[in-house]
Amino acid sequence: MQQLITTLLNGLTMGMVYAAFALALVLIWRSTRIVNFAQAPMAMVTTYIAMVLIEGGLNYWLAFILALLSGFVLGAFVERVIVRPVEGKSDINAVILTLGLFIVLHALAALVFGSDYKSFPAPFGVRGITVGGHSLAITPFGIFTIVAVIVVMLLLLLLFQKTDVGLQMRASAFNPEVARLLGVKVSSMLTLGWALAALVGSLSGLLIAGGNLVHPGYMDSVVVFGFVAAVLGGLDSPLGAVVGGLIMGIALSLVSGYLGSGLVSLAALLILVAVLLVKPGGLFSHASERKV
Amino acid sequence: MNRWSRKAALATSMVASAVLVASCGAGGRSESSSSDGAAAENVPGVTDTSVKIGAHFPLTGVAAPGYSEIPSGAKAYFDYVNSKGGIHGRKIEYIVKDDGYVPTNTTQAVNELVQKEQVFAIVGGLGTPTHSAVVDFLNSEKVPDLFVSSGSIKWGDKPSERPMTFGWQPDYEIEGKIIGKYIKEKMPNAKIGLYLQDDDLGADGAKGLKQFVGDQVVKEVKYTPGNTDVAPQIAALQASKADLVVGFNVPSYTALSQLTALKLNYKPKWFYTNVGSDPKLVGSLLAKFSKGAVKDGNSALDGIMTTEYIPGVDSADDPWVKLWTKVWDEQGKDGELTNYRVYGMSQAYAFVSALQASGKNLTREGIVKAIEDGGAKWKGPNKLPFRYSKDSHLGISGVEVVEIKKGIGEPLQDPMVTDLGDAEIKPDSGTAEQAPNESGLPDDIKGAE
Repeated sequence: MQQLITTLLNGLTMGMVYAAFALALVLIWRSTRIVNFAQAPMAMVTTYIAMVLIEGGLNYWLAFILALLSGFVLGAFVERVIVRPVEGKSDINAVILTLGLFIVLHALAALVFGSDYKSFPAPFGVRGITVGGHSLAITPFGIFTIVAVIVVMLLLLLLFQKTDVGLQMRASAFNPEVARLLGVKVSSMLTLGWALAALVGSLSGLLIAGGNLVHPGYMDSVVVFGFVAAVLGGLDSPLGAVVGGLIMGIALSLVSGYLGSGLVSLAALLILVAVLLVKPGGLFSHASERKV
Repeated sequence: MNRWSRKAALATSMVASAVLVASCGAGGRSESSSSDGAAAENVPGVTDTSVKIGAHFPLTGVAAPGYSEIPSGAKAYFDYVNSKGGIHGRKIEYIVKDDGYVPTNTTQAVNELVQKEQVFAIVGGLGTPTHSAVVDFLNSEKVPDLFVSSGSIKWGDKPSERPMTFGWQPDYEIEGKIIGKYIKEKMPNAKIGLYLQDDDLGADGAKGLKQFVGDQVVKEVKYTPGNTDVAPQIAALQASKADLVVGFNVPSYTALSQLTALKLNYKPKWFYTNVGSDPKLVGSLLAKFSKGAVKDGNSALDGIMTTEYIPGVDSADDPWVKLWTKVWDEQGKDGELTNYRVYGMSQAYAFVSALQASGKNLTREGIVKAIEDGGAKWKGPNKLPFRYSKDSHLGISGVEVVEIKKGIGEPLQDPMVTDLGDAEIKPDSGTAEQAPNESGLPDDIKGAE
């Protein structure tokens, strides 16, 4: 019983990290119809920025916020400078470009920050919480992770459903030409979409790093699991991404604890295949309305 | 287009160098049968004044922390030997290639060393998965593959299949046996949980351990290197009520297991393989999380049991450590002397002993024979003798069980020696207590001219 609770709680926190990452993928998908594979190394780079700042003596939370902002800027930069030239051409061009960027950022990070394991500090200490004599396998930072991702998801929902900017972003993604005719600055909306996505991606990077060891490849498994989570949720729905992330986190934690950690990646791919076979549009899709 | 032409160029150069190697090999054979006087002109990598050797290490990547320091230690000792005039008049030229702990890179690195650089031997190549990728190539090319930096038994248990390959450190199986016997005698009521890396390290270690305490093991978990989330594994150990966790794992996973145990409030007694227990490295990883939860650096691993087979930097009074300190002060580059550098120097010392024992007329077959004939009796920093013979190419024959106190391993019992399978475990009879020569070089067995 204790083991089950521990494994589930661990899955819950990991799931929230996958959810944040899936949210980032969904954001870019919603605004540009591109899956950004470079999301993981982009988040890794901003995590290293936070670590350098913290080691330099800066306040943890200030460094946290600066890292998120640098993610925002990095996202905008990547869209403007790197992805812009291939926008409007075949989608596959942009996807391959993000794969290339994945490798470049990896190599650069290894050069600049070194490729050793480094410890990333946690703001609240690393002991589990005790409730009524029973210790729960969740740290204060784990609770922060859960709250942070839920808040971000709600903010994004608000942005997309309730604000003009959100409406404009959706319009530019859905039909750029019509949106432009209606006076929407489509190119700015695309940049904003990438920047927001990179910010959320950075959040997932910082959340998984807190109280853990990091190295340039530490986000690589997250990109796979986060992608599956996003597809699980339909690639289009922020709520779907969060639910997908939670399902992935808990399922993979159970597989690792009860079947063996060697089967985790296999399990992730099986889930992906199963979803694509049974409900190709994902659990939360309303794709039929979009197919014209 | 560009890639094609590069591939073509690579293929051409590889064919060319293969032809070159083949012709060199042929020359070498006819030479060695005809003469004994002239110093082996046609042995690759060997001249009258130099011998060129190569190695592959992870200088970058996730396995780099710690391990990347090993070749800097070896280099310092080789430079020290060179400053004394070399061995039999030959100075040692040591080339290290980075493989990032990725087997495909190892293949490429070793190909370059053997075919382009024409090294005499590979010395100290690191890692089980990495070295496995090149061991057959080295044996089929008849390149001496000396003192592999890994405790897998496959480097030495079947010399007939891999005649050119020699292990160096104690293999994981005998370490597991000695740990198992210690637990059986001193902690017969412990409920053992095993925390294993999912490869030879975990499998060989568990095999040796279970020979003695198979009935005490209540749970066995494996982690996959690369996946840093070990909470499900530690949770399974906690649920099994194991009160002694024995880990056959690498240093970063020692840190991860300690962190995760804190999170789960799990407090068993820990026993790690010597591979994963470097107090300095693990302590520095854990220290950052301190905030009272983990004590500072060196004492982070206090009370943890592990094993040793060569004296480490903390035994400042040991004559070997004094020698290594002197070597590092004279020849070392940046940084301080660490246990990984001591490992590299100790291994380099074994290679220099082999060169010394091979005599003036250095050949690839000759050095293999010299190790088989005399290696078991060489003096060295290893607390226990090597097992080298015609029937075994396995390295150091045992370990000493220690408990870490303030970052220093304190012996819990005498060093023990044993061998694979059913071989008895017994206290070592007096190979320890050997001090190095005044010169810091191994004995000159055959006499330099």
